[in-house]
Amino acid sequence: MTHYGMVIDTQKCIGCHVCAMACKLENNLPNDIWWNRILTDNGGEAQFDMVGGTYPDDLHFGYLPVSCQHCENPACVKVCPVGATYQDPETGVVRQDYDKCIGCRMCMSACPYTGVRSFNWEEPQYHMDYATGGKDVPVHQKHVVEKCTFCYHRISQGIEPACMHLCVGRARFWGDLDDPNSEVSQLLATREYKTLLPERDTKPSVYYLV
Amino acid sequence: MSENIQAASSPKAPAAKFGGTGLTVAIVAAAVVTVIGLVLWGIQLSGGMIQTNMRNMDSWGLYITMFMFFVGLSAGGLIISSIPKAFGMKGFGGISKVAVWTSICCTCLAIGYVVVDLGGPFRVWELFVYSNLGSPLMWDIIVLFVYLILSIVYLWAQVRHEAGRVSATALRVVSFIALVCAVLVHSVTAWIFSLQQAHDMWHTALMAPWFVSSALVCGTGLVLVVVIALRAAGYLKLEQANIVKMAKMLGAFVCVDLYFFACDLLTEGFPGGEGANVVAMLTSGPLAPFFWIEVIGCIIAAVICFVPSLRKTPALVVAALLAIVGIFCKRFQILDGGFQINNLADYGMALTPTSVTNWTDGMAGAYAGLVYTPSMLELGITVGVLGLGALLLLLGLKFLPLKPVED
Repeated sequence: MTHYGMVIDTQKCIGCHVCAMACKLENNLPNDIWWNRILTDNGGEAQFDMVGGTYPDDLHFGYLPVSCQHCENPACVKVCPVGATYQDPETGVVRQDYDKCIGCRMCMSACPYTGVRSFNWEEPQYHMDYATGGKDVPVHQKHVVEKCTFCYHRISQGIEPACMHLCVGRARFWGDLDDPNSEVSQLLATREYKTLLPERDTKPSVYYLV
Repeated sequence: MSENIQAASSPKAPAAKFGGTGLTVAIVAAAVVTVIGLVLWGIQLSGGMIQTNMRNMDSWGLYITMFMFFVGLSAGGLIISSIPKAFGMKGFGGISKVAVWTSICCTCLAIGYVVVDLGGPFRVWELFVYSNLGSPLMWDIIVLFVYLILSIVYLWAQVRHEAGRVSATALRVVSFIALVCAVLVHSVTAWIFSLQQAHDMWHTALMAPWFVSSALVCGTGLVLVVVIALRAAGYLKLEQANIVKMAKMLGAFVCVDLYFFACDLLTEGFPGGEGANVVAMLTSGPLAPFFWIEVIGCIIAAVICFVPSLRKTPALVVAALLAIVGIFCKRFQILDGGFQINNLADYGMALTPTSVTNWTDGMAGAYAGLVYTPSMLELGITVGVLGLGALLLLLGLKFLPLKPVED
């Protein structure tokens, strides 16, 4: 079986936010909506794009790109009352059916990765007069929960997700975690890695090389 | 809540006879509030829920708080009225029908609050077509509807029993099923929260029994306030002994609820990890006012209920109201507290107006005080739904045979 996953090399991420922008353009995201956000890891000071700690000896600075973790044990899928958020049986990708979503936001509350799910709190508005990105991207709807789809419209045609396509540092890798010969499996076999919030038992499909 | 009580007690005609102009005025007032609420709901749906203060990182708010609160009031009210019947004990002097009617109104309110919280209320039919039976929310919807129907059947059975058309045994069976369902409905509501591994504060096995104990506290409190008000309004006669009996029960329930709270705080805080943050947030953090109002209010309520010299009617109303307010504060602590601790808050991130309620001052600013406070529109809709509840309650009092049958 195929189990798509992503490996992100935090040693290579330079925090340029191009992947966040690529995601926004590819998926024609409405204003103020970001499915892919680059968090700043500065030792718990929680400031955006800033170095933490004290100069000069004790400084913390790193980046953590976070979007939907496409968990193997997704908390969101279990709680959705109508099955609008579901796990694709072929690929393991956690998908979202906009037409089904009743807007109860149970999935947002159940997801431990606070903020990766976003709700269209109003009629989607766009800075540009025309839609951008993939032509197969589903139309965004008001009062519906959305999130990263792993660029399902691209990967179903054998193309990599948009975020890794433009990654300047080549920090992102994507492939089949069930195939031991895939690039992602090889990286996980040879490099040290972590997952986000492992204590929540969600088994994320996004791995961070450290 | 206050709306309900005011509306229920407003027709205080000097004459001992209940009803008349006062009741009609109250019904009209409640109807007007309901209509205003509907208009505001229309505004929320057309202009978007951006007009509420709920955001991606605090995605539930006052509506879900009120949902929890009213499921509790409803379950508590029904348990109080069905326990004596189910176990063949001496009751509280014929208040059972009023208690069940109050409980039915509260169930309708609870459903109303879920509906106004939904982004797509016109897609509600999907719940029955695409039901994911594994979702605690789906369990709650099923149990809530079964419970509503059962409560109505229970009320009907009581009326028919008094007319001699339903046997005592049948009534007892119905009351027992209703009792089980009332306990279940509140447990399932607790599971909506406690089965989520995402929030340390919610993820505790104590949540379901604790919800039931809280339901008993505010349900008894509500029934106490309503029957005292109705007695003052001349709707029913009730011996003080029955009120004292209920007050003692209220005191006991309050103690159980506080005991559960203490158990939960100790278990969360003692290991000193993430759970210690939950304790700090409640006792000295942004939720401290709600925490201390609950704890101190409940202690005062228990003292009033247990000390015979204090157990007089005006003080008992205060005790009952304190208990109800205390449980509301607990509901808000649960709702807001779950979102107040963000699992990724140690990281810096770019915030937008849809990220979190107070987004302008960054992550630290957003979580410095209460992460969520309701907007005026949310308050308006909340009062509107309360108006609907008051309307139902008053219409029932006017048109349904809820008065105790004279022995």
